Amino acid sequence: MSSVLLVVVSVNVILALLFSIGAAPIMVWLERRVAGFIQDRLGPNRCNIKGIRLGGLIQSFADMLKLVFKEDFRSSTIRERFLFSLSPVIVFVCAFLAFMVVPFADNLVLFDEVYVMQAVPVELGVLWFLAFAGLGVYGIMIGGWASNNKYSLLGSIRSSAQMISYEAAMALSLVSVLVTYGSLNLVDAVNFQAQLIFGFIPAWGVLIQPVATIIFIITAFAEANRTPFDIAEGESEIVGGFHTEYSAMRFGLFFVGEYVAMSTSSAFIVTLFFGGYHLPWLDTQVLKGNMPTVLAVAMVVIPLISFIFMRWVYKNNIWLDKNDARNKESIWLLKILLFKNVVILSLLGYALFVGIGENVTNILTCILQVVTFAIKLLLVNFFFIWVRWTLPRFRYDQLQTLGWKVLMPLAIANIFITATFIVVMGV
Amino acid sequence: MGVKLIKREGNTFKEKIYLPAIFNGLKTTFSHFIRNLKDTSNIKTICYPEEQPKDITSNYRGVHRLTKREDGTIRCVACFMCATACPAECIFIEAKEREDGIDEKMPSVFTIDLLECVFCGLCVEACPCDAIRMDTGIFSFSATCREDFLLDKNRLLCNEPMKEGKNNG
Repeated sequence: MSSVLLVVVSVNVILALLFSIGAAPIMVWLERRVAGFIQDRLGPNRCNIKGIRLGGLIQSFADMLKLVFKEDFRSSTIRERFLFSLSPVIVFVCAFLAFMVVPFADNLVLFDEVYVMQAVPVELGVLWFLAFAGLGVYGIMIGGWASNNKYSLLGSIRSSAQMISYEAAMALSLVSVLVTYGSLNLVDAVNFQAQLIFGFIPAWGVLIQPVATIIFIITAFAEANRTPFDIAEGESEIVGGFHTEYSAMRFGLFFVGEYVAMSTSSAFIVTLFFGGYHLPWLDTQVLKGNMPTVLAVAMVVIPLISFIFMRWVYKNNIWLDKNDARNKESIWLLKILLFKNVVILSLLGYALFVGIGENVTNILTCILQVVTFAIKLLLVNFFFIWVRWTLPRFRYDQLQTLGWKVLMPLAIANIFITATFIVVMGV
Repeated sequence: MGVKLIKREGNTFKEKIYLPAIFNGLKTTFSHFIRNLKDTSNIKTICYPEEQPKDITSNYRGVHRLTKREDGTIRCVACFMCATACPAECIFIEAKEREDGIDEKMPSVFTIDLLECVFCGLCVEACPCDAIRMDTGIFSFSATCREDFLLDKNRLLCNEPMKEGKNNG
């Protein structure tokens, strides 16, 4: 195994960890602040380390520490101890593994060798996601049953009812997408979306398969156990649902697993329907061909974004007690951001001045695509949160009606139309 | 009395596919989000305790105080009206003879247990001498032991009335 391969593989694994587990505290923070703003509240903003609050992000780390160090309580009424401990692991591992096949960038060419930018470079792509997403519900079912608690059992029954109602529609909606892209491999799917329809519309899945997109997004909400389909938890009806009996890090795994599942669903929505790692109109070849121009644009855009961001911070990051350490945070942020900008700009300037070789071009393209992917992932995650604080919960018979009577016929009709179109057009 | 026909909502195709209504809801929440993100000072939440509430009015029932006469002596005549009126039975009075000639009786002990008090204001209404009031505007009181919540005569006399637009909390 060459050292380059080793580096690329470890970078991919680290990226996958970062986007799934690393994103969990950020998602928790985003969830709370967005919820606050949507409901005209502030959300958590007091927690700080020597005055550094990062807009309340520190609260997530405090919560995480709390979960780790809390007493791991297990009721004596629980007889299935092994299953009880196993179920959070199943939920977490399934959500996490499903993320592993998402491509973060186009195939990287270094020293005339091609490296796949996936943590687990399998061709199965979509099937892998469906398999692990479907397995995740076993964790919830086993956990609810092993808890030996009526509420937990109700929660797990609800979640199994939920699973049989959305899983079919989800898989069927993906079939029409796969027929369109002609491949199970996610890299192929993304590269298909880099083409242009009529020369100016990006061939994103959302534009060529709008029905499949809507069905997949709706079922992805159910798959990630998010509102409006979080009927497995239903805290207003059945206490906490399947995780009523769980505390400390066992609960923490469920909690993180939920956010990882959300990230996974978002990643697949981005990959299959929103062009994955591609910037619209700029596919890999265009990026590689015009790297100096792209770098020059980046040199203008990065300071501009930093400037707007810092203006916003100075306007809104105010603490009323003038002597509090929290008031110095903006200055710290400004210094860090200035330092970061100087480093990035000098590197970019140096690269432009010296001229860039082929390997560097490829690496820069790769970085740009990873950043694009991260931004799209964040936006779709934001959409998940936004929907959660807008819509009320569905009753589970409503979800079954929706899944079986509306979404599944739609998905089948969509497959039929897509297949007919492809056969007739002979694409 | 004619029959009034009420139009049933939710039967049109547009309403049945839910999506337009969902997008309207998303639009509403997003407008709130953007407005608050642009300028957090729009948010009504106050950052207590750095920021104190400004909406405590003059008739707010805060912690009690015992009023004084013009010469600075206690106004209370230990008539036990407040203690009798108190539904929570949190006022403890012991009377003694008043020796400075202003009146006949005064309390030697006048204690209010804030942990028992329900802040109903009946003691203030019962008082014939306007000797007890709840106009201090103190809404927040904390202590580290139960004994500190027993306000004795001196502490009740020390409490000041609320200044205009400002609380003593």
